[in-house]
Amino acid sequence: MMAMKPDRERPRAAAGDFDLKRLQELLYRLIAAPCGVGEGLAANGGLPPGNLEAILNGDDRLSARERLEIYANAYFYRLLDVLKEEFAATLMIVGDVNFHNLVTGYLLEYPPTEPSILHAGRNLPAFIRTHSLSRRWPYLPDLARLERSLLEVFHGPAAPVLDASTMRQVPPHEWPALILRTHPASRILDLEWCVDLVMRAAEETGTRIEPPSGPTSVLVWRQGSRAHYRRLERGERAALALARDGVAFAMICEAIAAEATPDENPAALINRLLARWLSDGLVMAVGPWPASPAGAAS
Amino acid sequence: MSHCEFPALGFGVGLRRPHYSEIVDTHPRMDWFEVITENFMVEGGRPLEVLERVRERYPIVMHGVSLSIGSTDPINHDYLRTLDAMARRFEPAWISDHLCWTGVGGHNLHDLLPLPYAEEVVSHVAGRLREVQDILGRRILIENVSSYMAFACSTLTEWEFLGAVADEADCGILLDINNIFVNAFNHGFEAEQYIDSVPVERVKQFHLAGHQDHGRYLLDTHDHPVRAEVWRLYERAVRRFGAVSTLIEWDDRIPEFRELQAVADEGRSRCDSAMRGAAQPGIDAHR
Repeated sequence: MMAMKPDRERPRAAAGDFDLKRLQELLYRLIAAPCGVGEGLAANGGLPPGNLEAILNGDDRLSARERLEIYANAYFYRLLDVLKEEFAATLMIVGDVNFHNLVTGYLLEYPPTEPSILHAGRNLPAFIRTHSLSRRWPYLPDLARLERSLLEVFHGPAAPVLDASTMRQVPPHEWPALILRTHPASRILDLEWCVDLVMRAAEETGTRIEPPSGPTSVLVWRQGSRAHYRRLERGERAALALARDGVAFAMICEAIAAEATPDENPAALINRLLARWLSDGLVMAVGPWPASPAGAAS
Repeated sequence: MSHCEFPALGFGVGLRRPHYSEIVDTHPRMDWFEVITENFMVEGGRPLEVLERVRERYPIVMHGVSLSIGSTDPINHDYLRTLDAMARRFEPAWISDHLCWTGVGGHNLHDLLPLPYAEEVVSHVAGRLREVQDILGRRILIENVSSYMAFACSTLTEWEFLGAVADEADCGILLDINNIFVNAFNHGFEAEQYIDSVPVERVKQFHLAGHQDHGRYLLDTHDHPVRAEVWRLYERAVRRFGAVSTLIEWDDRIPEFRELQAVADEGRSRCDSAMRGAAQPGIDAHR
């Protein structure tokens, strides 16, 4: 398949004119320098004697440095735009200037490494936890984590979900042995602040609110083509955590019943939560299953 | 290079998020779609569902931005495995990427950086391209990138470099007409000479797009209509390379789909006119 063409007469660069690896490493450092090419040049000891013009052509329209700055600006602002879209509520809370500075520091510590730019923001919640902004807004790491999780479940694996009509086809006496598992495009976030309220306010009214603190479990999941989030009800957290790895429905029922209050009917609570999970497209059946369990992929 | 391997698909546009619902729900008139491969390198969800639905009705081409074929980093085999799996699943008419490097030292700048145009670099890139093509089991197209910097150590013109890499790797060329125009302005060469010098038998696809004029330089932004000068270059390219598959790129400030249809129709019309006006022997020589 790979038929080689005869080599042509072409001029060759003189030996030692450049080393491609060193050249790329140098350009990378200059382009990714947090405060631009000027700072990169000042900090760099890898330049040959002379100046940047020994490497890049400049002319009377644009100097070599100005040409490189086009790439440096494109690098930063492309990623800034991506992260602004991904962390819109975080941006709303801290404002443009703080977010700009946050991203400057973030890219220095976590430069992109993956082929897809979708991964560029995956470490931002962890970075915010160590950043001074989280002293002014202590709920910021939780908020960023919620926003990042929404993106990740949006692109999470597809799998057939269990719906109510399929469940009804199973004789009730067989329900306890059914193995249920939460959908792979879902996750439970254990948070220190009620940042779901911050998200909701930002999305629905474009307003900023200060959330109450306190342990909160938020469910993030994809249903159809949309990512959703909601606060978990009492009894749901333990049961859904069990179901992450697949567990018999009887064990899920025990987990829910254990959390029922004395004046609450455990069976009613189980029925209500199961109906909600089926309606949300949150669970899948992994067996044993007497009939075809196929549901809609989500 | 056979035309079965790279069939003439006609006139297509990029598959972009604002148009997902319209395309899936109404199946608008369009010859084919090009997808940014990395945007679909995910486990599931809406983008993959849309791509499956689109693929049921239209030919697609997978156009990558992170192969980084010119990097001095080792070839990313995880990336290639994912690319190969996607190709098996979606059966694109072909796969393309850029003649550039996107990062080094394990980092990704998410940009398409130019290479020095030198013999050593031709060998470096062509060797990696051959390896990639062997792994994928198919030839791919490599695209000329827009650029704002050029290297003092270059000994070849950009078009000599592009042709040499394609010849040595035995791959095809995705010729971006707008990028030629942008680079001609930014680096001071004749765009027509570029078009007239690229090896005819290698060119299997065109890109057309708009750019921004920043006065001292042109910026390849894909957010404006195709300029008249670029259309004229396109017509020149059609006369030289024939009616190869043409793609309208529009990635920012994306207009309504019907406007993209109109641009694709204009491309078709200009292509037909250019073909009618072309000297038939010259055209027949490579068809």
